[in-house]
Amino acid sequence: MAALGMTPAPFLVASRSAGAEETRFDETYRGRRIVGVRHDDGPSGGGAFGTWHVAVDGRPLHLMRRADGSWMSMVDHYQSYETPLAAARAAVDELGPTAQLGAPGDRSSRTEDSRTPSGCEGAERDHRRGVHA
Amino acid sequence: MVYTRKDVSTLTRSERHRFVNALLEVKRRGEYDEFVRTHIEYYRSDGEIGLRVAHMAPTFLPWHRKFLLDLEEALRRVDDSVTVPYWDWTRNRGTTAVPWTADLLGGTGRRSDRQVMTGPFAFRNGQWPIEVGITDTEFLTRDLGRSRDPIALPRAGDLERALDDPVYDAAPWNSTSAKGFRNKLEGWGPGRGAVSWLTHNRVHRWVGGHMVGGASVNDPVFWMHHAFVDLLWSRWQRRHPNARYLPVKPPALGNPQRGRVVARHEPMPPWDVTPDSLEDLSGIYRYA
Repeated sequence: MAALGMTPAPFLVASRSAGAEETRFDETYRGRRIVGVRHDDGPSGGGAFGTWHVAVDGRPLHLMRRADGSWMSMVDHYQSYETPLAAARAAVDELGPTAQLGAPGDRSSRTEDSRTPSGCEGAERDHRRGVHA
Repeated sequence: MVYTRKDVSTLTRSERHRFVNALLEVKRRGEYDEFVRTHIEYYRSDGEIGLRVAHMAPTFLPWHRKFLLDLEEALRRVDDSVTVPYWDWTRNRGTTAVPWTADLLGGTGRRSDRQVMTGPFAFRNGQWPIEVGITDTEFLTRDLGRSRDPIALPRAGDLERALDDPVYDAAPWNSTSAKGFRNKLEGWGPGRGAVSWLTHNRVHRWVGGHMVGGASVNDPVFWMHHAFVDLLWSRWQRRHPNARYLPVKPPALGNPQRGRVVARHEPMPPWDVTPDSLEDLSGIYRYA
């Protein structure tokens, strides 16, 4: 019954422009590094679409867009936030002091290449492992 | 033979024991984690492209009805006396009462890392390791009542707003639908923050920990919660006997929701069943 014929949920989220000019953020929030980068080369429609890569401590945070334009994350699934940054901070709140994004048991097998400076490529691989572990 | 789903507060000691043991055995067999995977896989938000079936969609109720039925079948393969009890959170509202007792689900998580320390699903018992999730946490987590910024469970009066609506669902068939029983029960309210967390969604937040994320199925309270949501659908059907699942037909060409929601007679992934076929399961189970 699992996942019959479904493609995995995409890490990159197709979305309309948030309206704001911001295209990236990089901050430390409650001791966690949050990095977000917006790309305007979304998969459909060209200029009206943007996609966000967001990572917490170098590990990917899958964001989803709601129809009202707000954002939600895999960690915090039953409410949404005005901006990708707000959704990332809320995910950090939800993670608490010790948990990391990834899959159960990842702590012992973490490698340096999953912590690329942008938190994207290696992190994306980790994300997929996380979802489909 | 029609079986009965009971209010969890009415289970005998033996019924509690058998329910817990069936869950642990389904977990041991590796079947439980398939349910966790499926729920993560099918969580699609309505601002994204593609078909949504599990959330923010008319199929929220039939999808979880079928999901619950599959879990119940797995439990009944272990022990055919077991059914999924429902948690009526309008009545059982305490953080230490049923279902949070040591012989059922155990209590809230400890302060430092929200790890559940009591009951059969505590990590130290070795029978409920978290194998599928979106964090590296290997133990079940909870924060009943949301201790850092407390919220209350929905009350019976909050449910009336949903149960009173005579229409099952309404365009645009998503989390922004202002009318319709489905979204009022699923609980995507207008606004931001605590005021916008209603009914079903609010209960996920009240339990906290795993129940807040995509891997919410890891907490067995997920099933008791959704059994109550499923009961509420039956209650709504009785109150509005002529009302049916909507939409009847797929949205028209050019409608942005075309191809993104399942109509009454269309198959609902991952199963080959239609919402129509799931509206009346009184030949399989009933609620006490």
